Amino acid sequence: MNILSQIGRNWSRFGLLLIIVAFWMFFSLVSNAFLSEFNLFTMLRISSVMVVIGYAQMVALSAGEMNLAVGAIGGLMTMFLGGLMEAAGIPTIPAILICLVVAALVGMANGLLVVGTGINSFVITLATSSVFTGIMYITTKGEAFNLLPADFVAFGKMRLFGLPISPLIVVMLITTILLYFLYRNTALGREILAVGANRGAARMSGVNSSRVLIIVHTLSGFLAGLAAVMMTAMLASAVPATGTDWMLPSFVAPALGGTLTSGGNVAVIGTMLGGLLVGSLNSGILMLDISNFWLQFFMGVILLLTIGLDRLRAIHAERAIVQ
Amino acid sequence: MTKSPFYKRLINVDWAGLLLLVILSVILMSVISPAFLSTYNKYVVLRDVAVTLLVGLSQLVVLAIGQMNLSLGTIGGLSVVISGGLMEAWNVPVPLAVLIGLLVGALCGLLNGEIIVRTGINSFIVTIATSSVFLGINYGMTQAVPFYNLTPGFKAFGQARWDFFPYIAVVTIIVTIIMAIFFLRTIPGRQILAVGGNVVASETSGVPVNRTIVMAHIISGVIAAIAGILLMARLGQAQPTIGQNWLVPSFAAPIIGGVALSGGSVSIMGTVLAAFLIAIIQDALVLLNADPYYVQFLLGILILAAVGVDRLTRQRRQFE
Amino acid sequence: MENPNVLALEATGVYKAFPGVQALDDVGLRLRHGEIHALIGENGAGKSTLIKIITGLYKPDQGVMRLDGNEVEFNNTNAAMKAGISFVPQERNLIPAFTVGENIVMGQTPTQGVFVDYAAVNMEARKWLDVMGLDIQPTTIVTQLSAAQMQLVEIAKALSMENAVLLLDEPTASITPHETEFLFKVLRGLKDRGVAILFVSHKLEEVYELCDRVTVLRDGRNACNDEPLSAINRDKLVSLMIGRTQTVTDLPDKPVKREEPILEIKDLHDRSGTDGVDLQLYRGEILGLYGLVGAGRSELARALIGASRITEGEVLVKNTPVRIRSVAEALNTYRIGYVSENRKVEGLILPHSVAANVSITVWRRISHMLGWIWGRQERRLVEEYVGKLEIKTPSLLQLVKNLSGGNQQKVSLAKWLAADVEILIIDEPTVGIDVKTKYALHDLIWQLANEGQAILLISSDMPEMIRLADRILVMKNHRIVGEIDNNHNYEHISEQIMQNLM
Repeated sequence: MNILSQIGRNWSRFGLLLIIVAFWMFFSLVSNAFLSEFNLFTMLRISSVMVVIGYAQMVALSAGEMNLAVGAIGGLMTMFLGGLMEAAGIPTIPAILICLVVAALVGMANGLLVVGTGINSFVITLATSSVFTGIMYITTKGEAFNLLPADFVAFGKMRLFGLPISPLIVVMLITTILLYFLYRNTALGREILAVGANRGAARMSGVNSSRVLIIVHTLSGFLAGLAAVMMTAMLASAVPATGTDWMLPSFVAPALGGTLTSGGNVAVIGTMLGGLLVGSLNSGILMLDISNFWLQFFMGVILLLTIGLDRLRAIHAERAIVQ
Repeated sequence: MTKSPFYKRLINVDWAGLLLLVILSVILMSVISPAFLSTYNKYVVLRDVAVTLLVGLSQLVVLAIGQMNLSLGTIGGLSVVISGGLMEAWNVPVPLAVLIGLLVGALCGLLNGEIIVRTGINSFIVTIATSSVFLGINYGMTQAVPFYNLTPGFKAFGQARWDFFPYIAVVTIIVTIIMAIFFLRTIPGRQILAVGGNVVASETSGVPVNRTIVMAHIISGVIAAIAGILLMARLGQAQPTIGQNWLVPSFAAPIIGGVALSGGSVSIMGTVLAAFLIAIIQDALVLLNADPYYVQFLLGILILAAVGVDRLTRQRRQFE
Repeated sequence: MENPNVLALEATGVYKAFPGVQALDDVGLRLRHGEIHALIGENGAGKSTLIKIITGLYKPDQGVMRLDGNEVEFNNTNAAMKAGISFVPQERNLIPAFTVGENIVMGQTPTQGVFVDYAAVNMEARKWLDVMGLDIQPTTIVTQLSAAQMQLVEIAKALSMENAVLLLDEPTASITPHETEFLFKVLRGLKDRGVAILFVSHKLEEVYELCDRVTVLRDGRNACNDEPLSAINRDKLVSLMIGRTQTVTDLPDKPVKREEPILEIKDLHDRSGTDGVDLQLYRGEILGLYGLVGAGRSELARALIGASRITEGEVLVKNTPVRIRSVAEALNTYRIGYVSENRKVEGLILPHSVAANVSITVWRRISHMLGWIWGRQERRLVEEYVGKLEIKTPSLLQLVKNLSGGNQQKVSLAKWLAADVEILIIDEPTVGIDVKTKYALHDLIWQLANEGQAILLISSDMPEMIRLADRILVMKNHRIVGEIDNNHNYEHISEQIMQNLM
C-alpha cells in the first residue's frame, strides 16, 4: 500500500512533466515560433511568476487555510514598489526589500485577523482582499508607474549567459529550494503540515497552532509580494490591474501539483510544475492565435479534471484499505 | 388559531441593528448633502440596489445550503452576452432573448450543481473553475467587445423610471418576494435550508440532498442571469465585463445581512437592508466627491465588522 | 394490538469484527412491546456497535434480527427507520433554524402543492407533543429550546414515525435531574401505549428507576441477556459490567518512594465541571484514576494539561504553583504529556506517517539552527521508539490510518515517550485494543514507572487498574470519592472500589 501511494505521488509529478512536454511538442508543431528563443524566454519568465503565485496559495493550503487576497496583495505591492521606486525615488534594492517586508506584514495582518477572530480564512481574506485593493486604488488613483529605474528594468530584461534564462527563473528556483527544504527538514514545516491535517491533534501534541497560522499567512503575503516584484520587473512597469487574474492560477498550480486542498499535504515540486504548465498554456494559446481568453476556459477545465482525478485516486485508495 | 410563522419569522431581531444603521446613514447623508434626497439621487440608489440585491440573493441561496458560488459573476456576464447578442445579431424579440439568457443562467447553475454532487469536490474549487470556463466562453465569443445595438424598447425599459422609482426595481422586488416565500413557505426552499442546517438529519428524514443542492445552484444561476440582464438594460449595452466585480458584493450583502456561513439560515430582510447600505455608501462617496475607490475598501471593512460583531454576539450568547 | 408473546425486536447470534478486534461475539438482545429495556456496558463493551447494527448503520458479520417475529436486514439507516425502528441519538439531530413542528414532521411534511401546509404541520406536531404531555409550541424555533426540550422534541419526532421500537442513546447525558424526571414520565406513558423502548445509559440509578429489564454487554459478549432488573442488585450489576475475571499474570513488585510529589493538585475546579479535586502524584508511581463513563476523569486530565480552563484551586509541579494555559506550555515548560482517549481524532494525525506522528512532540527539541531537522536524526529517534514499543509497521512512512488499532495506540503513546515527559497522563490506553497488545502496553507502562516515570492512569477497566496501579483514586461526579492502596489482590481491591462507587 505504501509503495503504491509513493508511486502515486511521484506519478503525478512525472505525469505533469509528461503533460508539459506533450504540450510543448504540440504547440511547437502548430507554430514554429513556439520554441523560438524569444518565446522560450517570455514563457519561462511568466511561468516563474505563476509558480511563485502558486506558492503563495500553496503555503496557505498546506496549513488548511486559504488566501483569497493573493491577487490583491500582488496588486497592492506592485503599486507600492512602483511608488517607492518612481515616486519616492528610492533605489532599486532597498525598494524591493521594503516591499517584501511590507508584503509580509500585510500577510501577517491576515494571520492575526484569522487567529484573533477565529473566523475562517475564506471570509477574512475575502474581506481583506477588498480592503487591500481599495487601498491600492485610493492611493494610486489607478495610474500605472511606467518610469521605473533603469537597473530594475534591465534586471527584468536580462538574459543569463546568453541563454533565454531570466534571473526571475533563478529567483523562482531559489524560492522552490527554500520551500522544499522548509517542508522536508524544518520543525516549522512539519508543524504547518500537522496543523493543516488535524489542528486539534496538533494542538494536543504541543504545537502552537496560532503561531503556525500567523506565520503561514505572513509567508503567503510575502510570496504574493515576491510575485508582484517579479511581475513588475517582467512588465517593466507597475500596473494596477496586476493580481486581478491571480486567483485561479494560485489554486491551479498547487492542485496540479497534488497539494490537496484539505490541508496537511504539500507538493512543492509539483506546484512548480503546475505553475510551469500554466505559463506554458498561456504562451501556447497566444501562439495558437486563438483568442487568449480561451486560456481561462482551459485553466478552469484543467482544474476540474485535476481535482476530479485526485478524488478518484483518493476514493480508490480508501476502497483498497477497507478491503 | 396558530399564528402564521411567515409573519413571526420576518420579525427577526437580528436585522434590527442593520435597519437602524441604514436609517441613520440616510439621515446622516441627508444632513451632509442636500442632494441626497433629490429625486435623481434616490433613483440612482434604488437602481444600484436593484442589481446589488439580486447579486446578493444569488449567493444567498447557495450559502443557505452551506456552499458558495464563485461563478455567479461570470454566469451573469455570459447570460448577458448571449441574450444581448441574440437581440443585436439576430433581432430576437426581447422576451425570448431574455428567456434564453435566463436559461443560460440555469444551465450554468446546473453544471455547477451536477459537478459538485457527482464528484464530491467542494463548491469553492468547482465554482472557481467553472467561473473561468464561463468567462472563457464569454470572451471567446465576444472578444471582450460589447454589443451596443440592443433593442430600443429594452434599453428604454432599463432606463425608465416613475419619479424616483426605476422600472427595473420592479423585477428585483418580485424576485425578492418570490425568494422570501420560497424560503419561508415552500417545500424546496425549506429543503435547502434543512440541508444547510443539518445534512445528516435531512438525509435521514428523506430529503433528496443531491437534488436539493443542484436546485440551489440552478436558482443561483438564474438570479445571477436576471441581475446581469437588468444591468444590461440599464447600461443599454451587453458588456462582457458585467459580473467581473460581483464576487465581493455577492458575499458582502448576505454576510452583513446576517447569513449563517455554515448554512441553514438566511435573512432576506437582512440581505435587503445590507444591499441598501452598500448602495448608500457607494452613493455617499460619489456625492461627497470622495474617491470612488473607497467603496472597495469600505466593503472589506464592513464584512470584517459584520463577522466580528456576529462572533461577539454569539460568544456572549454562549455564556448566558 | 401486538401479540404479547412476540418480541418487538430480537437479535440473536450477532458477530461483528473490526481489524484486530472482535467487537461483538455471539451477542443477543430481546425487547418486548410495552417494556423499557436497559442496554448497558462500559466503553468498548460493544454497546455502540450493537446499536449501529440495529439502526442499520452497520451490517453484522453473522446474526439474525427479527422485528415482530419477521426476519429483517437493513442496508442503511433509512431502511431501519422505515422498518420500524426509531432512533434518538446522543447528539442532537435537529435542524436548528427550523421550528419544533417542522422538525417533528420532517420527512412527512404535509403540503399544499409546493407550499408547506403549516397549519397541518403544527396540528400534527401538536398531536405528538400532546402524546408526550409537552407544553412546547410547535412554532418555537429549535435554537430557543433548552437541551432537554430538544431531546424531548427529538423523541416526539421519533414517535411521529409511529414505529414500534424506540431506541434512546444516553438520553439523560446533558439534562438536569428535574428534566430527567419529566422525561421518565413521558417514557412511562409511552410504555403504557405499547412502545418497545431500548434505553441505553451508563447512569445506573436511572436504569433502576425507569427500566424493567436489562441486558449487559462486556468485552463484546452478553454478561447478561434480558434479565428482570428486580432480580439483580446494584453490586451484581456493576460486577457484570466490569467483570470479575482474574488477571492473567501478576506484575513484579515495584517499590515507590514517596518523598515529594512531582504533581500536586489542591481543590481543583474547572470549566468542564471538576468539583474540587485533590491529588498527589509521585515519581515512579502509577496513580490510577478509576471511574465509570462520565465521572469526570478526562475532564480533569484536560485541565491538567492546559486544554481547559481552571477556575479555582491550585496546581503544583515540583512544588511550584503553575498556571498552564496551553498544551504546548504543559509539554515544553512543565514536561507533562497526555495520551488522549480519543486516539483517532485527537491522539493521532491519521493521514500522516508513523514517523511524523511520533516525532511531533520533539521537533522543536531536535531541531538545530533555523529549525533545521536532520532526517537521519529524526529517523533514529523514531526507530528507537517504534522498536521499544514493537510497533508493527512496514515502514516509518506508513500512514497511521493504515495501522491496526493496537499499533495506532502504540504510536499515540510513542510520541509522548519520545517527548521524554516527566509526568505522563494516560487516558484509557487499551479500549478497543486486541488482548496481546493490551498486555504489551501494560508491561510497558509498568516498565516506565519502574524507570521513574510518574504516571496518572485513567481507566474504567477494573482488572487493568488493579493490575497496574500503585494507588487507586475512585472518581464519581467530578469528585474523588475514595483512595485505595493497591495490593493487587483482585477480590479485595475490586470490592473496595465498588464500595467507593456506591
